[in-house]
Amino acid sequence: MKAEQEPFLQARAVRAGYSGREVLRGIDLEVRRGEVLCVAGPNGSGKSTLLRAVTGLLPLRGGEVRIGGTPLGALSAKERARRCAVQPQVEAPMFDYTVGQFVLLGRHPHRPPLAAATAQDRDAASGAMEETDLAGFGERSIRSLSSGEWQRTLLARALAQEAPLLLLDEPAAHLDPGHRFVVHTLLRSLARKQNRAVLCVSHDLNLAAEFSDRMILMTQGRVQAAGTPEEVLTEPNLREVFRCEALRVAPNPFTGRPGTFFAP
Amino acid sequence: MNALARLCLLAAVSVAVFVAAVCIGPTHLLDLPRWIELLRTGAATPELERASLVFWELRLPRVLLAAAAGANLALGGLLLQAIFRNPLAEPYLLGLSSGGALGAVVALAAGATSVTWPALAGSLALAAIVLLFCRQRIAADLPSLLLVGVALGALAQAFTTAIILRFDPGALRSILFWLMGSFAGRGWTEVWMLLPAALAGGLAIWLLHRPLDLLALGGESAHHLGVRVPLLQTAGIALAAVLAALTVAACGTIGFVGLMAPHLTRKLVGAPHGISVPGSMLVGATLTVGADLAARTLLAGTELPVGVVTGALGCLFFLALVAGKK
Repeated sequence: MKAEQEPFLQARAVRAGYSGREVLRGIDLEVRRGEVLCVAGPNGSGKSTLLRAVTGLLPLRGGEVRIGGTPLGALSAKERARRCAVQPQVEAPMFDYTVGQFVLLGRHPHRPPLAAATAQDRDAASGAMEETDLAGFGERSIRSLSSGEWQRTLLARALAQEAPLLLLDEPAAHLDPGHRFVVHTLLRSLARKQNRAVLCVSHDLNLAAEFSDRMILMTQGRVQAAGTPEEVLTEPNLREVFRCEALRVAPNPFTGRPGTFFAP
Repeated sequence: MNALARLCLLAAVSVAVFVAAVCIGPTHLLDLPRWIELLRTGAATPELERASLVFWELRLPRVLLAAAAGANLALGGLLLQAIFRNPLAEPYLLGLSSGGALGAVVALAAGATSVTWPALAGSLALAAIVLLFCRQRIAADLPSLLLVGVALGALAQAFTTAIILRFDPGALRSILFWLMGSFAGRGWTEVWMLLPAALAGGLAIWLLHRPLDLLALGGESAHHLGVRVPLLQTAGIALAAVLAALTVAACGTIGFVGLMAPHLTRKLVGAPHGISVPGSMLVGATLTVGADLAARTLLAGTELPVGVVTGALGCLFFLALVAGKK
């Protein structure tokens, strides 16, 4: 791990919200190349808003975001997309594109306006489809996919973007256990082997504990706890944030990472 | 068959329909051996002169006008469907047709002889009001745009009806024909107004085909992939409004083409905009030229407004679509 370099994504004292409502009230966050950061927290704690704020979808009301050392506002749209890929939450596709066409659109930031796809573009797209277990889906219509397949297609498009920073909003929400494992293993290897910076919003605390290097626990637009999974996933933290006395923490018998259980 | 081959086939069908529309009518123009014979002998017979007049002054401008109008409406529909990520969007939902009608009847009431420019002003003005009203969250919120468009359209229609009631029967008939949409009595002036707009608009939209693909597949992910979403949405809506407003001004309200053509195009050549932009131009043009041909030949001795034919076609089309889904 090369954790000594400057963080690829830096957010300082970020505040943002929607019309009258302030959702993020001063968030600090850093993701370095080579590491996976998981963001957890209850519904409405501002996790998705955080992703929208650090990618420029939502204007900042305060604070600063830097991607690859450059302030977000100073990046052109395409330059931002070359540095940062996002897998959004699932929204149903309205039009009939094939999976192959869809994933290839992930190459947009690398292609001049009217250029045909190069061999490099096609390789990146087919590589991304293999990594997400979608080889052979190239000609399928995106409207014929199951929600799990569609979710992996969205991930494949973000991977085809080949950006150093990867942000994911609940990448495993619709996946079966097998594919959840595949996707999280993939995310970890993207960080380790390709030296990418990965930020993943997740409701699955056990997966987050198992596959992340660091975690952030958010509540009400603030960071409640940050650090290694062991430091963050403690019973006092979880009970306070999720307001649930039945939550218990015990080490995973196979890996020793903290596991979260209900003990009603 | 790949998409490009299907596009070429579509183009061939379109050309065939255009040629048929030029040739068919009270003066048949398809009597080739006879024309060749006439041309060879070189005698400028009255028959030949008449045919040439029909060709240059009636049929050709009419077919070109119908083709350009259809292409404009189809392009507008395709653009708005991508921008709103909704296959039910179409240019008239911005209130264009009722605005155009109001502009036209106000001008007629004031004694004007040509309604083209007042109609253009009326439809653009109403579209601008609708868009300004919803400017906060235009693309995120199609239903509220739709409601504002319907509400303001109804208001414009109320005014239109109030003014029309004061017209004498002759003017009433001509305004009614205009409102229903027709290519009769138009000429090269209208062709020169719509045809360059269709070609330039089509080219502009085609140049944006990849950003449009991204936008059609999700507004937030288009942003994440480097598309300047608000800019593209604003420009696209403005372009669709101008294309449709020009068409309303030149030919009145021709319903359903803006909705039907993009649907058919996606079925015929596929959804990606690199191919569906030229495809929808062809489909829109062919539908409109075909509908106009039907409008002027179905009933002997009289002519239906083309809007009546496209309306009936549109109804059948959607019933078939719904039945197909079940």
